[in-house]
Amino acid sequence: MKEVPLALVEMRNIHKWYGKVHAVDDVSLTVNEGEIVGLIGDNGAGKSTLIKILAGYHRPDEGEIFIEGEKVRINSPSEANALGIETVYQEQALVDLMSVARNFYMGREPVKRAGFLDKQEMNKCMVPLRTLGLSIKSPDLLVKNLSGGEKQGTAIGRALYFKARLVILDEPTRALSVKGVQTVLDLVRGLKEVNIAVIFITHTLHHVHDVAERFVIMKNGKVVNEIKKDEASLEELTEVLME
Amino acid sequence: MKERSSGIKHEVWQRFSRVAAAREAIIFGVAIGLFVLFTLLSDGRFASVRVISILAISAAELGIVALGVAMLMTCGEFDLSVGSVSAVGSIIAATLYQLGLNPFLAMAIAVGGGVGAGAINGLVVVKFGIPSFITTLGTMMVWRGFVSILTEGYTIIFRVVETHPAFHNVLQGGMGVVPAPLIWFVAMIIVLMLLLNFHRFGNHVFATGGNKEAARAMGINVNKTKVICFMIVGGLAAFTGVMQLARIRGFQALQGTGMELMAIAAVVVGGTSLFGGTGTIVGAALGVLIVTFIQFGLIMAGVAGFWYKFVLGVIIIAVVVINMAVERRRKI
Repeated sequence: MKEVPLALVEMRNIHKWYGKVHAVDDVSLTVNEGEIVGLIGDNGAGKSTLIKILAGYHRPDEGEIFIEGEKVRINSPSEANALGIETVYQEQALVDLMSVARNFYMGREPVKRAGFLDKQEMNKCMVPLRTLGLSIKSPDLLVKNLSGGEKQGTAIGRALYFKARLVILDEPTRALSVKGVQTVLDLVRGLKEVNIAVIFITHTLHHVHDVAERFVIMKNGKVVNEIKKDEASLEELTEVLME
Repeated sequence: MKERSSGIKHEVWQRFSRVAAAREAIIFGVAIGLFVLFTLLSDGRFASVRVISILAISAAELGIVALGVAMLMTCGEFDLSVGSVSAVGSIIAATLYQLGLNPFLAMAIAVGGGVGAGAINGLVVVKFGIPSFITTLGTMMVWRGFVSILTEGYTIIFRVVETHPAFHNVLQGGMGVVPAPLIWFVAMIIVLMLLLNFHRFGNHVFATGGNKEAARAMGINVNKTKVICFMIVGGLAAFTGVMQLARIRGFQALQGTGMELMAIAAVVVGGTSLFGGTGTIVGAALGVLIVTFIQFGLIMAGVAGFWYKFVLGVIIIAVVVINMAVERRRKI
């Protein structure tokens, strides 16, 4: 018998209600090590809710989550981080009025004695950012002065630095210029190279089609289709989505 | 010889630091300008040792509270109850002292009471999701009502000077010409600046005020951060109340009235945002100086007292407009 490798993350039969709204309806989702999964669906399809459950932001009403076959309960974003799951939310990943370095270590600040910030250590955030090919001038620069692509890059660099195994990108190309979109797609490929899995949430198909290996399509809280990239062209995929 | 090859990088850096320092620099300039103006208008009396000492004591009493308010506003919340909480601190200390407790112990309990009042504000805000403006408007009235009921309009005497001179000296004595309240004020500036700008907690405060959702997503307990800020403000307000008690040597039910809006005015003049996410302790301290200068300067200059609020209002709006322009250009 062939041995099947354990999935990095497996969400099994997840349900979530908001009052009477069945936001996530019996969804199962698997992500393998180093795999790029495109999670596609219209606004209100349940993508964000599903992902916020995985990110520890919401608790599922029913269902189980397994990391490498081991059942886990993710009660908070920090618990998700500790399990190697990093989430980059659309427009809420960073604090505009804080510096790059302060954003980078937000919630996980390196400290010296008595909880005082270790500024020297914090300046090291420039290393992963340069690795990602971002040319941010100074760690003290306020995030509001970065371009859209640089902002996403900073958030992704943060995930990389903190040894994420799965990075969830929530609409990372939304409101970005053409160049910014390219930056983000390059960053995603960069993550793949170092064997970090990515869930790429979007409703713009052609952004994700370039990079993703598998597409999971959601509608009205349910997974309606799952397609491997080599099984469908962009046109075919578009048709599936329009159904 | 000057190095010319340090190049563009150096120039860019210089421009950054210039804009960043501009906030405090502008406010500092306004404070100095007002001081010079009032000194000229009062034939030099404004710059006399006696007046400066009164200014220092008055600025310290408003200032210690304002520093806490600056941190709370950076966190994205308001506290309108500080005046009432300072009165609660006063009455706790005065009553316990009259019951025979050592005044240092009475003060510690009073400050603890202030911290508790802050915790109530904070917990109501985060647990019930009521805007802090409304919550603390409520507790402002509750605590003011509470002290009025207890005192029934009478003054509570607090004469520690004879019985415990050491206590009086700690709060109202001083070193040479430097009055003790000013020393406390400077000490609090240093402590809160270290906390806000150099401590992990400060990073959580900025993150909570700047983008609550992002902070939460990165594992920061935003509710806890807010409640702690409320507790710090409450403790500082009660401490100020005890300090006033030692100065006035008695307590009456209206003590601290109006402090809340003066503190917010000073903090905003100092460059802290009304919308959270940006704040400066040094700026708040300078803002307190400006407010205090106007308050006493107009009187010293012989201007009728009721001009005070008029002028203060104009200055608040003017400084905030300038601050917003600076903030837009700020890079670091």
